[in-house]
Amino acid sequence: MSVVDYSHEISVIEGKPSLRELDDLIVKPLETKPNKNFLIALSITLTLLGSFLIGLSLTFYYGIGMWGNNNPVGWAFDIVNFVFWVGIGHAGTLISAILFLFRQKWRTGIARFAEGMTIFAVMTAALFPLIHIGRFWLPLYLMPYPNQHSLWVNFTSPLLWDVFAVSTYFTVSLIFWYVGLIPDFAVLREKTESKFKKIIYSIFSLGWRFSNRHWQHYEMVYLILAGFATPLVLSVHTIVSFDFAVSILPGWHTTIFPPYFVAGAVFSGFAMVQNVLIIVRKVFHYEHIITLDTLEKMNKIMLLTGSLVGYAYGMEFFIAWYSGNPIEQFTFINRAFGPYAWAYWIMLTCNVVSPQLFWFKKIRRSIPVMFIVAVFVNVGMWFERFVIVVTSLANDFLPSSWAYYKPTYVDFMILIGSFGFFFTFILLFTKGLPVVSMAEVKAVVDGSQPTHHD
Amino acid sequence: MSSETKIEFQKKEFSPKVKSIGLILFIIGLVLISAGYFVSPARMAYNNIIGLTFIISIVVGSLFFVSIEYLSGAVWSTPFRRIAEFFTYGVYLIPVILIPVLFNLHDIFHWTHPEVVNSNKILKEKAPYLNINFFLIRVIGFIIIWILFQKLISRNSEKQDLTKEQSLTSRNVKLSAIFIPLFAITLSFTAIDFLMSLEPHWFSTIFGVYYFSGTVLASLAAITIVVIYLNENGYLVKGLSQDHYYSLGALMFAFTNFWAYIAFSQFLLIWYANLPEETFWFLQRWEGSWMIYSIGLIIVRFVIPYFGLLTQPSKMDPKRLKIMAGWILFAHLYDLYFLVMPNYSRGGVVFSWFELGFPLFIIGSFILMLFELNKRKNIVAIGDPKLKRGIDFRL
Repeated sequence: MSVVDYSHEISVIEGKPSLRELDDLIVKPLETKPNKNFLIALSITLTLLGSFLIGLSLTFYYGIGMWGNNNPVGWAFDIVNFVFWVGIGHAGTLISAILFLFRQKWRTGIARFAEGMTIFAVMTAALFPLIHIGRFWLPLYLMPYPNQHSLWVNFTSPLLWDVFAVSTYFTVSLIFWYVGLIPDFAVLREKTESKFKKIIYSIFSLGWRFSNRHWQHYEMVYLILAGFATPLVLSVHTIVSFDFAVSILPGWHTTIFPPYFVAGAVFSGFAMVQNVLIIVRKVFHYEHIITLDTLEKMNKIMLLTGSLVGYAYGMEFFIAWYSGNPIEQFTFINRAFGPYAWAYWIMLTCNVVSPQLFWFKKIRRSIPVMFIVAVFVNVGMWFERFVIVVTSLANDFLPSSWAYYKPTYVDFMILIGSFGFFFTFILLFTKGLPVVSMAEVKAVVDGSQPTHHD
Repeated sequence: MSSETKIEFQKKEFSPKVKSIGLILFIIGLVLISAGYFVSPARMAYNNIIGLTFIISIVVGSLFFVSIEYLSGAVWSTPFRRIAEFFTYGVYLIPVILIPVLFNLHDIFHWTHPEVVNSNKILKEKAPYLNINFFLIRVIGFIIIWILFQKLISRNSEKQDLTKEQSLTSRNVKLSAIFIPLFAITLSFTAIDFLMSLEPHWFSTIFGVYYFSGTVLASLAAITIVVIYLNENGYLVKGLSQDHYYSLGALMFAFTNFWAYIAFSQFLLIWYANLPEETFWFLQRWEGSWMIYSIGLIIVRFVIPYFGLLTQPSKMDPKRLKIMAGWILFAHLYDLYFLVMPNYSRGGVVFSWFELGFPLFIIGSFILMLFELNKRKNIVAIGDPKLKRGIDFRL
């Protein structure tokens, strides 16, 4: 049995770097010209983004007949992608707000990046309802405002609640992210040698002078925003789950959906953060800031949330049987053994089975394995939404109207393209802003904590 | 970074006054229960279900609290983790409270009557799960699991008082990791068996989570009351500060919100879909005076603890915390009553001395149990390697 010393706190940042070393390391990507690898990566994501634009152009020019959606399956890739990307965003807020409220210091190394991913993921997600409504130039009609047609939104529709929830969430996340960036902008302002950059950084640092009063206000605002962001993040995926669960469609209408969706969202989000961070820490030499311990803790959260999702699958299955409702029972049997069985078993293997590997410490601390598992989880969570959305619609109450849904190449272009959209932003972010919060990391380096001897 | 914190702990016995209070409550409870079973066995049996699910909440919830501390590596709760461990000794009380239920199954559960089941298509389909044999196997299995983990975890923890071996903590971390999934399953099915199957036609996938949220709240509240009382009277290790209190208060606040979230989700989805096979459960709780009781649930279980614990100073104020923790325990009983009693008295709330028997009996038993345990064991995990860090804990 490995001996662990519980009487000492494990250092969040390894190797006791000096504060200046940390600043320099984090600022470095911003002060150097992009290298070849970066440009290659960017050209790949831009190509994907191009496919996104072509897919969208085809959709808007010819109409959504270009998609595979058919008569019973009116919701397909567009909604699946929407839910998937909103889910990806959830890890960011969990790390930056909820773990902050739980006073988990290990979050400091990854919070900024995860929060950035939240913003980009929500941006990506927000495109899909616009695409889905078909007339993306009329989004204003989603907002309730007095107009001469006396045309109002349907306040009892969870789709409208989505509009409010996602936009509020995006706004608060953006402010939260920006507030965290203010002290870092001030550091950048002091460090940069370019005049132009200095002006930009000065504007964004809002006159930050590192004074005691500034820090006090900052801490207070950060805590309040974390308090706001916590219920918001839960509400977003809860309302996304309402989109399905308020209906009476078997497989959609089940009361466990809200917490189950939130757990799944956090699960997929962590997997995505894990994937990206493993690359970032390697490329930028942040191995001592985003330590193996941090990655291991993220794996533990993936094990937990993955098992919660597994619990929800199991409970749904059990209650479907227990309800005694034949249509409910059929829906679940049909998921597992019907025409979409392949999607169901991909989902189950990736989401429930693969994270169980994290029971073993060796695997939790092996970077290649955790990378692969995280990819699996991302795949699995996409398929989960596919299973929920498509299987319930394809085989609903009236067997004569059943149909098999097959996506077209345009569907795939939009799906792949959404990754291009997301990762283009990620790449630009790594060169444009400090991807680790300098202020927060410096506060958790060994030796920087105040001691309490009164 | 070695801290100079000293562990100052002196073992001392509780005053005999505590024991006599416990004994009085215990006896009153016992008398009321016996009288209740004599006067109206059916009504008392329903109360017995409330008592049983209440004690399971506190005991198994405390075991959950202990496991979570080990698993997450938390230190703030180490100085008083032993109190939660003491509560877990209540596993031996669970069978005591279960036994009268087993003798009155027919009064409580429709599905135990073969003639009812045979004439009802849906109940017939559920019979492979809802039958007395399988029910007993489950219940006994769950209790065995709880007793097993309670024994193993508390044994390691208590052994550490003498040996101070770090490996005992590692062992408990592993045990906790195994326990948590079992906890999820056993608690969910306890909720389904004892609470949901009271109305065997009704089903809700979130129900296990609903009971879980109440369980965590009840155990946290019980731990909080005892911690504050003992700390104020100098029974615990020196150095517990308002930051420790704050953490307990913050958790109770968080789970109050979590309960509201789960309860609201369940209600909204059933109300919105408006399927008669689900809505009747809420409609029963809207008949006659149950309507007022149901609205009261929102206030008792959510509004009052929410505002009572919202601000930072209120989570640090021991007086406020004690009141809110007591309130949350009461709210858990209120909630269980909401889940159970509409099956006994349709159309209106009933309340009299019947309903007091089990709560008094359980509280009395816990006081006596803590009194005896404190005599025999240390009330602080003095050998725990995390103890020093736990005393040093500051927000």
